[in-house]
Amino acid sequence: MDFRFTDDQLTLAESVRDYLAGTHGPEVLRRLDSEGNRDPAIWQGLVDMGLTGLLVPEEHSGLGLGLVEAALIATECGRACLAEPLVDTAFVAVPWLVRRGEVAELGAIAAGTRKVALPHVLNPWVADGADEFPGQPLQSVDPLRNLVMFPASGSADPHLLDLGALMSAAQLVGLAEAMLHQATEYAKVRTQFGQPVGAFQGLKHQLASCAVAVEFAKPALWYAAGTLECMSSNTSVHVSHAKVMATDAAIQTAETAIQVHGAMGYTYEVDLHFWMKRAWALAGSWGDRACHLKRIDQAVIGGTLPIGPEHTFA
Amino acid sequence: MKLGFSAADEAFRQECADWLNAEMAGEFRDIKGITKLTASPERRKEWEQRLGEAKWGCIGWPVEWGGRNATLAQQVIFAEEYARAGVPGRVNHIGVELAGPTLLAFGTEEQKQRFLPGIAAGKTIFCQGFSEPGAGSDLASVRTKGRLENGEWVVNGQKIWTSLAHISDWIFVVTRTEEGSKGPKGLTFLMMEIDQPGIEIRGIKQINGDAEFNETFFTDARCPADSLIGAVGDGWKIAMGLLAFERGVSTLGQQMAFRNELDELIAAAKANGAANNPLIRQRLAKAEIGLRLMRYGALRMLSNTDHSKIDGAALTYKIQWATWRRNLGELAMDVLGQAGEVAEGSEYEWDTLPNLFLYSRADTIYGGTNQIQRNLIAERGLGLPREPRGDV
Repeated sequence: MDFRFTDDQLTLAESVRDYLAGTHGPEVLRRLDSEGNRDPAIWQGLVDMGLTGLLVPEEHSGLGLGLVEAALIATECGRACLAEPLVDTAFVAVPWLVRRGEVAELGAIAAGTRKVALPHVLNPWVADGADEFPGQPLQSVDPLRNLVMFPASGSADPHLLDLGALMSAAQLVGLAEAMLHQATEYAKVRTQFGQPVGAFQGLKHQLASCAVAVEFAKPALWYAAGTLECMSSNTSVHVSHAKVMATDAAIQTAETAIQVHGAMGYTYEVDLHFWMKRAWALAGSWGDRACHLKRIDQAVIGGTLPIGPEHTFA
Repeated sequence: MKLGFSAADEAFRQECADWLNAEMAGEFRDIKGITKLTASPERRKEWEQRLGEAKWGCIGWPVEWGGRNATLAQQVIFAEEYARAGVPGRVNHIGVELAGPTLLAFGTEEQKQRFLPGIAAGKTIFCQGFSEPGAGSDLASVRTKGRLENGEWVVNGQKIWTSLAHISDWIFVVTRTEEGSKGPKGLTFLMMEIDQPGIEIRGIKQINGDAEFNETFFTDARCPADSLIGAVGDGWKIAMGLLAFERGVSTLGQQMAFRNELDELIAAAKANGAANNPLIRQRLAKAEIGLRLMRYGALRMLSNTDHSKIDGAALTYKIQWATWRRNLGELAMDVLGQAGEVAEGSEYEWDTLPNLFLYSRADTIYGGTNQIQRNLIAERGLGLPREPRGDV
């Protein structure tokens, strides 16, 4: 077992990170918030990078890459608090359609002309699904999330749930890292009692605890992406591990980051709340924490996940 | 990223398992399953020698020094099979994992010749003399003094928490050799033979009734002038280099022992009905996740080949496993209920789960407390300003 990524994987993730850092900063989030949430130019930029076709097989004009690469890029989407429905369309719907052999729309998805939001029985609402499920738009706690109610006809396929949960976990890891970065930078420059507040253990230990949570959520995410890619045994349990750990890391980091910012953290003026609200929204999407913990405890205690020395770390 | 091991690695796994299982079913069957670090010391020294004879004692070392030059994956596999076979922990862990790699990295050719064959053969048992009564978290404030006199180092002072000093042959000691120096400056790293009049060892009884660590007193203790690793005044550099080895593959063997503890706890919860309680079930599920995260974290840390760079995985590893195990001890007591308070026999000796609760209180203290770990993560990992420090 080896957690190193290839140079190609690292270069890909880095190029997406650089592109989003350069084109999708907090000022863009504020503009979208006041001007209507979606911008065709942002979407076209993602299409031009080939991201909508990342998981589309090459014979359907995609890049034909895998879930590990998609998870790395979804992490970058979380880091940038990207609101466009790239992850739901290209990293959740596409691999599900490919696995079911439904290839008709893949070319259009890769070309960026078709967006797909898939409903699941565990998600009473879908984001950016207004085309398929016309109805009253709902206000989400995340001001950049376009939610609609879908008719009670969602899939109950556990594979779809696994894909959605995995990609939510990936975004949550990126969101957590971004919030930890914002809080850490603030703690270095905000001074009280004659020194940066980050020198005080009361704050630095809370930030360190967030760093621990984030660092340990990452390999759980990568491992889950790897097992889902090859559909190895106990895949669902590994996905649930990743979702729970990424959710906990993001929520803990969001709460800590607000506390570190003091009263400023409670204002709409500080950028932090965009990330914190996305984390809140994704924490409950594609199975909340209780749902995923239950899948794990049933596997561990119920006996479907083999334990005992002969199966250790199966 | 690769999940799982290659066919060659799996063949190696079988070779390890076959040898270990045969030993544990044969000549060494009397020590199989021992978890207490102080139990059967003489037999376990013999086991160290058996490992040495069969070249399984330090497989990660170079071949010319008695190792197998094993790959990282092979070291991981050996550690896993070692724990899976129920083999007791290594009484020469310090020699194999710390003293040996330190000598390989910083020792002279002559020092390697002097020490490495004995460690590789399982005949030279080492312990570590770092902490002192006044130098715990603030390790650099050691006061044990060393001075050169007639071609010998003469050492006076006291070390504490020296695990297994009472069964060890050698101790490495960080001493203050520059009169009036403070903090990390003026320290020297010495290798000293324990069996001499100037060294006295007294056991310290722990909360679980066991006594694995000691106070070690130095009263004009002596060693030859060429017993230092590195140069005079390099002690801090050598000690820090050594501590970097502590995040070695032995952590993976430790995880197998943790796996056994969690499995025993799950079995106990099923047996006494605690597993029907949703709150207990959730905590067991979280323990399961935490153990797997620990494994991923260790593999991630070990697969970073650039050891000059301390990455996030390495910085956060200790606090994660220590806190996980302390929580597991607390969960064990909640699963056992009142039965956890009662020892089996008339002695103050504890079964695995109550002992886990007691012993794991130490995990978040030794090797850098959780508070020190958070300082390191915040200052080295996140780049936050350093703690205000007093005059050292």
